[in-house]
Amino acid sequence: MNSKVKSILFHSLFVSAFLFAITACGDSEKKLPILGERDWVKKTVDGKEVVDTIYNTIPKFAFVNQYSDTVTEKIVENKIYVTDFFFTTCPTICPVMKKQMVKVYEAYKGNPDVMILSHSIDPEHDTPAVLNKFAKDLGVEGQQWQFLTGDKARIYEIGQNNYMSTAKEDTTVQGGYIHSGAFILVDKEKHVRGMYDGTTEEGTKKLLNDMERLLAEYKK
Amino acid sequence: MILPQSTLAGTARVLAFLMLGLASCRSSEELKSEQYFVTGQQLYMTHCANCHQMEGNGMSNLYPPIVGSQILSDKARIACIVQYGMSDTIVVNGKKFSRPMPPNPKLTEIEIAEIVSFVSMKWGKDSLYTPIEFVHKALADCKPD
Repeated sequence: MNSKVKSILFHSLFVSAFLFAITACGDSEKKLPILGERDWVKKTVDGKEVVDTIYNTIPKFAFVNQYSDTVTEKIVENKIYVTDFFFTTCPTICPVMKKQMVKVYEAYKGNPDVMILSHSIDPEHDTPAVLNKFAKDLGVEGQQWQFLTGDKARIYEIGQNNYMSTAKEDTTVQGGYIHSGAFILVDKEKHVRGMYDGTTEEGTKKLLNDMERLLAEYKK
Repeated sequence: MILPQSTLAGTARVLAFLMLGLASCRSSEELKSEQYFVTGQQLYMTHCANCHQMEGNGMSNLYPPIVGSQILSDKARIACIVQYGMSDTIVVNGKKFSRPMPPNPKLTEIEIAEIVSFVSMKWGKDSLYTPIEFVHKALADCKPD
């Protein structure tokens, strides 16, 4: 694996571990933390001043999937989802990530509460037709696992700012892009609840475990 | 009576010497094969296993397996594909694969010889390493313009 990719991977893992550490304190032990930057606003309720926390929330988006359909945030309405960033011609960590993501797909196949969104960071090459063939060759059918392409700037922006996953072009690395190998878990309120190393078996195991915990939160 | 005996002893000595020579020669070949196998395995893990997987089984219909592939009987072609990549559609174990494989321009001839040795000994019929000279010739013959 390229050392740059590795360093980014470790960086993002470190950040998520750090965020986990600082957010875990206040929460009850069973709940997953809410990750990302947060803001506080003061407002007045019944003459008293209260502080509201504004959490990092995934904003509205519009991309195109492997069936050439436009996909917006509505597709994950009332669902938890796992997301990642990849490109179909990636020779380094993507095949490993996809092998791991297939485990998530198999584990929740047919579950209406769970979706997977995989964003291409090379949308010029990864057209809907290319993604369609890729999904088929991977053995993925139906709507549950969306392979998304679209405006490159928008994909990078949502990746960087909201999913906290680095993606950028770099002609010096094999394949031409560097990106993190993270799997990102998002809840029904569009908050990031966990980040996992999608290149390892252990990371994926932890994700599957946390997905159970997150789904359990909604059962009460 | 004396003559044949000394001839016999002499022959035995020469034979013993020859066998010793052969044995040490063979063990150095085996030693080299082991070295190529181990280094080749490490290189395979770094450069090939992401797609072709550690066990050489490939990945669904995306990346072809090496285990059971016809290509194991054509080591010159393996060397060429590893170095220069490929973009043809190929059929492996009855399945069609059409995704291009990227070239590995940074791999040296000895590294390619080690990778070819590893896959040929692990999944092919080889019991000895593939020499650098073989790879050198194969690469010269298939060098793209």
